[in-house]
Amino acid sequence: MQKKLVEFTNLLRKAGVRVSVAESLDAFGALDELPLEDRELFKDALRATMVKRSDEIDTYDRLFDLFWSGFHDQLRQELQQAMGGMPEGFDLEQLLEQLRRMLENMDVGDMSELAKALLGMDPNALENLIQQAGDEAEVQNIRNMLQIGFFSRRMMEQMDMEGAAGELRSLMDRLREEGMDEDQLRALGDLLKAVQEAVRRAVRQYTERELDKQNHDYIERFRRESLLEKSFYNLTEEDLRKLREVVQRLAQKLKSIITMRRKRERRGKFDLKTTMRRNMANGGIPFELVFKQRKKEKPKLVVLCDISSSVANVSRFFLQFIFSLQDCFTKVRSFVFVAELGEVSQLFRDKEIFDAIDLALDGGDVINPYTRSNFGLAFHTFWRDYLSAIDSRTTVVVIGDARNNYNDPRAWCMRDIHAKAKNVIWINPESPGAWGFGDSVMDKYLPYTDIAEECRNLKQLSRLVDKLIL
Amino acid sequence: MGDRMFDSIDEVQKRLLDQSYIAGKKIATVVYLATKLNKPVLVEGPAGVGKTELAKVVASAVGRKLIRLQCYEGLDESKALYEWEYAKQLLYTQMLRDKISDVIAGTKNLKEASERIASQDDVFFSERFIVARPLLKAITSPEPVLLLIDEVDKSDPEFEAFLLEVLSDYTVSVPEVGTIVAKHVPLVFLTSNDAREMTDALKRRCLHLHIDFPSTEEEVRILELKVPGIGARLVQDIVELVQRIRKLDLKKTPSISETLDWARALMVLNADELETELVNDTMMVILKHQGDIAKAQSELNALLQRKAAEKASGAPVAAPAQPAAPAKKSVLH
Repeated sequence: MQKKLVEFTNLLRKAGVRVSVAESLDAFGALDELPLEDRELFKDALRATMVKRSDEIDTYDRLFDLFWSGFHDQLRQELQQAMGGMPEGFDLEQLLEQLRRMLENMDVGDMSELAKALLGMDPNALENLIQQAGDEAEVQNIRNMLQIGFFSRRMMEQMDMEGAAGELRSLMDRLREEGMDEDQLRALGDLLKAVQEAVRRAVRQYTERELDKQNHDYIERFRRESLLEKSFYNLTEEDLRKLREVVQRLAQKLKSIITMRRKRERRGKFDLKTTMRRNMANGGIPFELVFKQRKKEKPKLVVLCDISSSVANVSRFFLQFIFSLQDCFTKVRSFVFVAELGEVSQLFRDKEIFDAIDLALDGGDVINPYTRSNFGLAFHTFWRDYLSAIDSRTTVVVIGDARNNYNDPRAWCMRDIHAKAKNVIWINPESPGAWGFGDSVMDKYLPYTDIAEECRNLKQLSRLVDKLIL
Repeated sequence: MGDRMFDSIDEVQKRLLDQSYIAGKKIATVVYLATKLNKPVLVEGPAGVGKTELAKVVASAVGRKLIRLQCYEGLDESKALYEWEYAKQLLYTQMLRDKISDVIAGTKNLKEASERIASQDDVFFSERFIVARPLLKAITSPEPVLLLIDEVDKSDPEFEAFLLEVLSDYTVSVPEVGTIVAKHVPLVFLTSNDAREMTDALKRRCLHLHIDFPSTEEEVRILELKVPGIGARLVQDIVELVQRIRKLDLKKTPSISETLDWARALMVLNADELETELVNDTMMVILKHQGDIAKAQSELNALLQRKAAEKASGAPVAAPAQPAAPAKKSVLH
């Protein structure tokens, strides 16, 4: 049992569930206190002691079934199938009864464990034997599909399947000598063959399960990791859905980091006045010191999102970040543009965040998204209508590839925005090497940005958001 | 020990039920293990599923006093553990001025005098002048207690680190007094709404319990237990609607306690089943955002329509679409 539990713990760790030594000790402790027969109880106890994150519960459930129980059920099923394969109208009970009677009167000699288990069709004994063979054949070292055949054969050799088959054949001969009739003998032969076949299949399944265990979550994790670095240009619907959750989690993480950072910075100079006032009750003796709290300015944010198809995904996740972290900013105003520019801040006040984002990326009823990008026009509109939204505490974030379709860039608008704002940050999904080439006018705007960075995947984006809040 | 611990998981369920708390097998298992292994329990789950309530009923089921520490942002050691009572110390020094003069009488210089006083200063830094806050209270309590640390996720990471220290060996060291070791290891329940992920270190020290919203059957049982005298029909209606509403994407999902409030409110209004007007008037008991109410409205309409059809035909109608169909036809004609 202990060994099994340690194995299971290793399996959990391999699947990315963090289980400490102390926790697996707790699990042992818990099992001492509980009756083991109740499978659900066993499962709950292990979970309570070893799995502490809600998002790991799924993995745990799947692995638990894979590890603790499934094989037994599979083996039983196989055996039942083998026994059910008898010819029509044949009485299995009667055959087995007769077999038992004849064996009692015969001296069968020493039969191997396996032969006995096969003859008795005993799933528990068979399971034990298979598991033993599995351990001896070191199936846990299996790494890929191609090894399934190899390890299954090795297990079969360990169990000495051939030997057991031989024993059963000679037993049949003895039975014939003892006068069992041919029909029954044939039926018994078929049955035993079917059972052996079932065991062979079970062994193969055992190996496959072992491979599953080793590989579990490997693919999933690989996917998640690569999702962070997957370019925004080629995301599938499925990716989008998954990324949404990832962004949510990243945002949460950022938030707790930020609050900690803020707190550390908060303690400022010694505040004499308040200290004296606070300590009046102590006769003016300054028991309790008071420090001035440095007010950390939360940034004001104005976001200009290009929603043309080439940049839409960057805008999407940036907006999700910003609105998940809303309380880190005093005020957020968001605008979308392709050629026209319009404000969508109201959307985010009225709607759920994901609905709002979808709507905003579709033009938000304020602009026509089906035009050709014109940064110059968009900035000019902003300059004309919304320049007053910018003051010395505002950070302006522009998301766009600056592919201007050879229109006039009107960089002077950007110059004025830059002059008024605290910071201008440009997030560009293209790499700096492409800036200024072809119809890209990034180089025209570059002098008027404080930070201009490439952002092609989520990893880069989350780093940028972090920088923004700092 | 004066308290009555549990002997089996079934007993946990039974005794919690005596306290009007319906505990599923999972909950009971963890509670049982916590009492056996003397481990703190970290209870996580959405708001309003009865996490705090669990700690309370376990306390009364085992007959322990409940000491509650409500966490919030900015909670620090002095508010959770202990504080020196400055004013009292000061008052004592004032009142004992004569005695202090006696102590330093005959000393020749300042150095000698201050040494005399220093030899006496443990008078002023003794347990007498400590204001015990919940954590210290739980540790020094003469009888075993249950410590509830509510909404740990609201506290700051620094505080969490400090909690770890206390939870791992149940001792508190006060520099001036020494180390205070718990007389009895308290049962500890921590609750969290998942507002922030707790650190692995804290989780490692705790048993973990995740409570989710109850299933329809469980919620029916809860209502019947907590709101005695409520009609079976009304219970069914309420639970069905609430369960449907929870599935919607809402700003704030209705909690169990809100379901209970609603049921009680409807009882007061003498309702024995849900009707459109009644529901509209009392909706604010379970939904607290205008946007949520608008969203829930369509669910409600579907449900009520179906019920109306059931009533009319006298037999249950499965799909909500059915009653709508004939109505449309009549419009066409």
